[in-house]
Amino acid sequence: MLNLSSWRNFLYVLPAMAIYALFLLFPLLASLGISFTDWDGTSLPVYNGVANFMRMFSDPVFWIALGNNVMLMLFYTLFPILVGLTLCSFLYETRNQTERSTLRVLFFLPYIMPMAVLGVVWRWLYNPAFGPIDQLLRAIGLPHLALSWLGDFTWALPAVGFVATWYFFGFCLVLFMAGLQRMDPSLLEAAELDGSSRRQKFLRITLPSLRPEIRIALLMTVIASLKAFDLVYVMTQGGPGTSTMVTNIFMYKQGFDLHNFGYASAVAVFSMIIVLVINGLIHFAIRERN
Amino acid sequence: MRGTPLFPRAMIWLIALMTILPFLMALMTSFKTQMELFQGVFTLPSSLNFSNYVTAWHQGHFNTYFMNSVIVVFPVVICSILLGILAGFGFGMLKIPGKKLLAALLALGMVLPSEAFIIPLYHELRWMGLTNTYLALILPQIALSLPFTTLMIATAFQQIPKELIEASVMDGASRAKILWGILVPAIWPTLSTLALLLFIWTWNEFLIPLILVNKDELRTLPIGMMFFQNKNTIDIPVLMAGAMIVILPLLAIFLVFQRKFISGVTEGAVK
Repeated sequence: MLNLSSWRNFLYVLPAMAIYALFLLFPLLASLGISFTDWDGTSLPVYNGVANFMRMFSDPVFWIALGNNVMLMLFYTLFPILVGLTLCSFLYETRNQTERSTLRVLFFLPYIMPMAVLGVVWRWLYNPAFGPIDQLLRAIGLPHLALSWLGDFTWALPAVGFVATWYFFGFCLVLFMAGLQRMDPSLLEAAELDGSSRRQKFLRITLPSLRPEIRIALLMTVIASLKAFDLVYVMTQGGPGTSTMVTNIFMYKQGFDLHNFGYASAVAVFSMIIVLVINGLIHFAIRERN
Repeated sequence: MRGTPLFPRAMIWLIALMTILPFLMALMTSFKTQMELFQGVFTLPSSLNFSNYVTAWHQGHFNTYFMNSVIVVFPVVICSILLGILAGFGFGMLKIPGKKLLAALLALGMVLPSEAFIIPLYHELRWMGLTNTYLALILPQIALSLPFTTLMIATAFQQIPKELIEASVMDGASRAKILWGILVPAIWPTLSTLALLLFIWTWNEFLIPLILVNKDELRTLPIGMMFFQNKNTIDIPVLMAGAMIVILPLLAIFLVFQRKFISGVTEGAVK
């Protein structure tokens, strides 16, 4: 009824598709092409087959970076979801609406801020000479714990990861709260009458009914951990050594610092494939269970 | 209904305060002098001294960064929504040749990391002579926003009751009139949520301004903040005043629209 001719209808999507194609699809295809070349960014790219990919798979730094991305999943995905689940069952019991929405705002606050600014603030908090964390540790008589968090080969990655946990848990919490509000409250009341304990109620009723929200949180945070860039770039730039190197920092350094654009594109393409595969897997898991 | 037990309630408030403690520390420090900070990190500043803000604003170039963020955010939000309305109308309501394929291509942009295409994008814009211009910050950001915007608008259009549209078709209203006079007003809540989300995403964007612009006078707030940190590692109070300049507008918008914002983020994620 709204249709005149389908070719004229095409004009409606044309402007959006043109901008999208010009600044996203075309560069994406070009990325695939460049990944099969040797290119310094100024002279013409030279086709070199799968050499970039071979080099990548035998590059120990690339594997360290990928391993760090997997480690970051603990901090981007596991911890925020666990903290979010724990807090949401408590927050759900807060009956006072004002109190509940105030708490929700406080927990959600980090999630709306730019990672770059959070990184700057946390770099100061972690600073070994004049940062509050180490000053507090020294003041309460634990000077041996006052480490140089971001300069320490063992602690730099968890220190950056902790910021990500702090950033994401409020988002998970709010997502789960929305899920609980969709749930039938008579279920919990019935369980309470049956004399179920808090833990039983949580495991038998709350957790299963939150399954869709948990999957969404999983999807968003796993992808965020694979895409990790801005927080790491601002806080450590991948250092010390390669202890916080992640694939996107590696790609950035190979490309924009060393001008190995072919090699950097191969890394970008490979990371993209991982993101698409994991996205597909999580979606597949959702479909199958429903 | 029983009241909330005291212990869990105290715990949850404690955790909530711990969550915002980094912001409170930064706020407190932004009013201190360097001497005060050396005397104690946890003490309150002796007075509400805005000189660190003045230093960050002028010497730290936060005035430029702030203006740049504003200059970039508004065109991105407005153009994304206008293009999204047209495309959402096309995808949601009209017959289009190859619609499935086009929609699938657009959906790809929702999951794709920007890092996957940033290298060719940089070279493409350099070839077009657009690096180090506002357009380099605006156009790719619109491209990045369009998949989500179009999908959300198309879904909203489809949820409008069919009778509403059929009635106006019967009246012989033109398509433009139906779109702008009936459909767009009907999805106003979706559009305002979108505007809010696009505002925050663009304001917070890191990779595009980092790579496509390298002149200080074109930097947006997050990038300016980072370079300011690299130049200035000693003067923590001024650094924190800079952080507050980035945070406070976001905080104001968030507090005003918090309900809409939180539901937008969670529902957006669910879709």
